[in-house]
Amino acid sequence: MRYNEKELQALSRQPAEMAAELGMRGPKKGSVLKRRLVKLVVNFLFYFRTDEAEPVGALLLERCRVTREEPGTFSISFVEDPERKYHFECSSEEQCQEWMEALRRASYEFMRRSLIFYRNEIRKVTGKDPLEQFGISEEARFQLSGLQA
Amino acid sequence: MKLNERSVTHYALSDSPADHMGFLRTWGSPGTPPTPSGTGRRCWFVLKGNLLFSFESRKGRTPLSLVVLEGCTVELAEAPVPEEFAFAICFDAPGVHPHLLAAEGPAAQEAWVKALSRASFGYMRLVVRELESQLQDARQSLALQHHSSWKPAASCCKPQARNNQSVVLENGHPLSKDCSPVGLVEEAGSRSAGLGLAERELQGPASLLLGRGQSPVSPETSDFSTLHDWYGQEIMKLQQHWQQRAQGSQPECEEQDKP
Repeated sequence: MRYNEKELQALSRQPAEMAAELGMRGPKKGSVLKRRLVKLVVNFLFYFRTDEAEPVGALLLERCRVTREEPGTFSISFVEDPERKYHFECSSEEQCQEWMEALRRASYEFMRRSLIFYRNEIRKVTGKDPLEQFGISEEARFQLSGLQA
Repeated sequence: MKLNERSVTHYALSDSPADHMGFLRTWGSPGTPPTPSGTGRRCWFVLKGNLLFSFESRKGRTPLSLVVLEGCTVELAEAPVPEEFAFAICFDAPGVHPHLLAAEGPAAQEAWVKALSRASFGYMRLVVRELESQLQDARQSLALQHHSSWKPAASCCKPQARNNQSVVLENGHPLSKDCSPVGLVEEAGSRSAGLGLAERELQGPASLLLGRGQSPVSPETSDFSTLHDWYGQEIMKLQQHWQQRAQGSQPECEEQDKP
């Protein structure tokens, strides 16, 4: 699959929702914990060597699972292979909790579900479709029928 | 740069909703300047969220390419060669060439340009924030209406129902408390005498969301409080616009989000 690294690099420089230096361990057996600057930008998690400007890698956060591991540690895995985990070690329980909350909300699909939920609730309470005023009520991305997965 | 390609491919092929699909002609590959001549290559494109994938064909099992639609604009373009219905995805980053694409007709061109322009995460986030605050306002005004007619019931029900909703939310999170969400939703339902439809009907969409192992969301949750800090200017404008339209039927609403 081709993609433009420069585009991803530019994205990694966008304002981040969360950024911190964490311990990170890849999913392969025997991987070593490394210090990485971890940055959450939209639905991507970028990780950098602490002294470098360009990311080592990126994780798309769609269909991911965020799991508590040992105290202060969480992992990210993906629906199609839940045992293949990226581990992250935080410096405190609070930081760990903060990251887990942020990562669970970080996917586009999560936002889509929220939007559809709110749209429906508003329709029930007010009898009106809140998207009509913006002229986007017919957009495919906002339809209830989109919730299939 | 490493990317979790296997997961990305899985997402591309999954049955999560595609926001737009169709055949487009494309020139060059991502990262290379488009070739100035030639009719381009016809590929099957799938837009999911802020990700644009291309495939060899409708039945392709591996994406040929991925474009992340953040920090870009979509513009009608002068095609190379007499190609009509062309448009370009332009990035504001150094050394990143526009992606040139051509649709098969004017309607398709318009539909693609619209769909791609609205594909960013930021746009979705803006709309979600707006709806979240609209729902809060709508529920508050409904509760106030009921409060005035059923004072004693409303005043004791309202705070409890709020608690119920945040507990339901927390239960929706994977790996947290193990109370049954269904039981709690029923409780909310039975206490709804002093409240409007909103709380009673939480069961519907909440169970829809819970059924997928995802967190249900509710305006009473602190989860979304962080969303309030994102788009100061634009969100205020949208809110003002909405409040102006709703003026007259709205009591004083608590202004909760500050940029």
